[in-house]
Amino acid sequence: MNRYRRLSVALAVAGVLGVAAPAAVSAATTTVTISGATASYPLVSLLAQKYVKLFPRKYRFKIAQGGAQIGINDVAAGRVTIGDSSRGPLEPPAPPAGLVFYPIAKYGICVVTNKANTLGNLTPAQVLSIFTGKTRAWSQVPGATATGTIDLISRTSVAGVLTSFQTLLLEGKKVSSLASELSSEGLLRQAVENDPNGIGFISNYGATLGSVNSVSYNGVACNKTTVASGQYAGIAQFYEVTKGKATGAASAFIGWIESSAAARKIISSQWVPITQ
Amino acid sequence: MLDRLRNPWSDNRAELTLGAVSLLVGVCVIAMIVFVFARAWPIFEHNGLSWLGSGGSIKTQIANMQATGVNPPASAYYLRAWPIIYGTLLTTGIALLLGILIAVLSSIFIVELAPERLRRVAIPVIRLLASVPSVIYGLIGILVLVPFVGNHLITASQKTSVQNSVELTGEGLLVVAVTLTVMITPIMIALICEALMAVPRSWREGAVALGLNPLRAMLAVTLRAIRPAIVAAAVLATARALGEAVMISMVSGANFFAPSLSHGATIFLYEPLRTLASTIVDYREGIGAPALQSALYAFGALLLFSAFVLSIAGYLIKLPLRKYQVRA
Amino acid sequence: MNAFVPDLPVSPPPSSKPGRRSSLWSWRWSDRLVLLCAWTAGLGLCLIAAAIVLYMGYRGLEYLRPSLLVTRPAIGTSQSQTGGLLDPLIGTLLLTVIGIVLAFPLAVISAIWIAEYGRPSWLARVVESAIEIVAGTPDIVLALFGLTIFQLGVFAPLSFRAEGGGVYGRSFIAAGAMMSLIALPPLFVATRDGLRAVPAHMREAAFALGKTRIATIRRVLLPSVRSNIATGVTLGVSRIIGDTAIVVLVLGETLRIDTQGSIPGLNVLRGTGSTLTSYVFENSPAGEGEAPQKAYAAAFVLLVFVLGLNLLVGRIGRSQAQSTGMSGVGGVV
Repeated sequence: MNRYRRLSVALAVAGVLGVAAPAAVSAATTTVTISGATASYPLVSLLAQKYVKLFPRKYRFKIAQGGAQIGINDVAAGRVTIGDSSRGPLEPPAPPAGLVFYPIAKYGICVVTNKANTLGNLTPAQVLSIFTGKTRAWSQVPGATATGTIDLISRTSVAGVLTSFQTLLLEGKKVSSLASELSSEGLLRQAVENDPNGIGFISNYGATLGSVNSVSYNGVACNKTTVASGQYAGIAQFYEVTKGKATGAASAFIGWIESSAAARKIISSQWVPITQ
Repeated sequence: MLDRLRNPWSDNRAELTLGAVSLLVGVCVIAMIVFVFARAWPIFEHNGLSWLGSGGSIKTQIANMQATGVNPPASAYYLRAWPIIYGTLLTTGIALLLGILIAVLSSIFIVELAPERLRRVAIPVIRLLASVPSVIYGLIGILVLVPFVGNHLITASQKTSVQNSVELTGEGLLVVAVTLTVMITPIMIALICEALMAVPRSWREGAVALGLNPLRAMLAVTLRAIRPAIVAAAVLATARALGEAVMISMVSGANFFAPSLSHGATIFLYEPLRTLASTIVDYREGIGAPALQSALYAFGALLLFSAFVLSIAGYLIKLPLRKYQVRA
Repeated sequence: MNAFVPDLPVSPPPSSKPGRRSSLWSWRWSDRLVLLCAWTAGLGLCLIAAAIVLYMGYRGLEYLRPSLLVTRPAIGTSQSQTGGLLDPLIGTLLLTVIGIVLAFPLAVISAIWIAEYGRPSWLARVVESAIEIVAGTPDIVLALFGLTIFQLGVFAPLSFRAEGGGVYGRSFIAAGAMMSLIALPPLFVATRDGLRAVPAHMREAAFALGKTRIATIRRVLLPSVRSNIATGVTLGVSRIIGDTAIVVLVLGETLRIDTQGSIPGLNVLRGTGSTLTSYVFENSPAGEGEAPQKAYAAAFVLLVFVLGLNLLVGRIGRSQAQSTGMSGVGGVV
């Protein structure tokens, strides 16, 4: 019995070490924790990846999502180093005091419908009336090939894209409570892809993934070019949020994003840098 | 020192040590009750017990909790959670009623009516079903049942008829009730089958000898004898149904809507809803915000309390049934 | 002798042939209806069970490739980029090991104390009620409890402390501790019932030979309930493997195992990760849903584990019945 006991203990220790092996032993590095918007998650992940490649062994990044409001709450409570936000400090509801918002990129908010619904253009009045729930049938929307009820697909209240959408394209009014509320860009895009009667809103990069029909707003198409030129009406910004002015790791990372050419190249791939 | 541990222990020392470890378990559980209620306290403090009632839109109340972030004012704690309590009661009630019926009938089938080969296969299969993780039921629900209901059962005219109050997408009460029933029935069948097989054959043979046909003998004698087991099975199944979070979150439609019969019986089945447990899962990322945290913990406290009430209720129901000697 | 034939609605007595039922047509219509319902319910359930198992098997075999089991998952936008199941697999195994390692001593010792000592009796009742409460608690509440405990400052070394002082509270150790609460009741009940089923003469023989109570437990009773304990452990393992709520709330929901700190071994325990169940959840349309195929593959692996554990329980039960002649502990807790 003793031999088996020793053997099993040895196996258990080997097993634990074997599990530790793929998780490589790292030198003592500072961990930068980030949480927040799902719309800026691809951008921030790419930036963090590039930063670690350029400056190895300096910082480790732990990036979570959850929504812009989650990021703002987390950084205000000291739970994370940096918060990702897809809405600005001036849009209601007001963020907690003491936070500093650093803009890092511009993005556009596109109205999207199902691929089969080849709606080309919507006027501001139409967008307002559809998303506030006044227009309920596709038959009342000229140019739409879908029939039946309009299925509004929106985001949960923590989403920064929702706040920016309401401020920029809905004249500050709220999306109708009829809308289904999904917790991330990916889920919203999927819901629109699967529902022939669906209509929603998403960042310009999110609209290029998968297959959804991007609708022009007031005659202007929604893509990186029109956002860069300023023609498109729904232009919002991604921010990195810190509690007080950024210091230490946060300051290094944000400073790198704002000034380095490598970061600018990453931002320009799908979004628009702040300074042209 | 190792020597002292290896030498034979005295019974006194052993008893004290073992008792202390067992006490640790008790302490853990008491800690659980205390901690969960402590974090839920702000909701009770600001709302009294009326947070269980209805009033206002719970969607706006929770959005408000998330928006107020770090230092929420007292108004942020306002909560009227009746729609989700209603959703929990509705889903659990339907699943329990259907489940007991199907479980009792199936158990009679398996123990009495099934051919021998089918019975040998059925019992392990039921045990397997009882241990299938709930996330797999949720996966089948969301990838098979929801599209089926959404594309084939819900008609366009039904969608238009309620288009001003809610959107029907296939995720809703029907899928939740069906999946939940399929999930809790195997547990009940396993318990009831065991109890059925434990009843002495002589009881039933006596009834048959008096002229009852075999099925009626089973219903009249054996079923009555295993009533404690049926109650125990129902309590276990209800506890599982109440606490089911992930599966319901996957198929219930992410909408704080309270399905109402006033829309017609079929549309009632298609309407989305949320339950206490599925709300906790859906909002888990925002659990840092103090107001939302108290709300979610209040839901957890309510679930804990109802599990407690359930086991007491089960005990009380079984009390008058004690006169039957067959231990279930 | 037959002067008085009472007027009873008696059905013809069962024929002498063994297994022959009385003729169906003599039954009341309500009985026939119940019979029909019983057949429908039973067959329907067997069909549903078969459908679930076969469908998951079909989908799983369609999407599962052996390479998936050894590749690490990755974040990607198309199926071919999302990698495999290695980290969720490791996560499941790691949580199971931690859960059982923590639950085993607690459960077995409590069962021994309740079955063999149990004084003072109010304390014994408290402990048994406490374990019943844990058994009846929904796993989502246990997950919430895990968050409160492990976000206390004193437990910061078990996960990590963020910049502003908040304790993260989510790690393999935290989730493992909660998993041990899940596995505790089945193990406790199995051991306690096994100990109670040991015939009194075995204890009395040991006492007659002069052994103390604790020595009897160690040398005589525990070895004889080995298969009960094995059954209990297997039941506990199958509950841990199937649990999603605790993983989703207390394990940190990162796709890969994300270590914390620099001590090998401990950095994994302090880190976050995923398991097969949270992987299925995240990859279904309810999560980020880009990869339902991967979700099916992971679900299939999960089902295979659960099936294996079920067969193991059956085998342990049968071998115990053969060796000791005592009926094993079955049923579902």
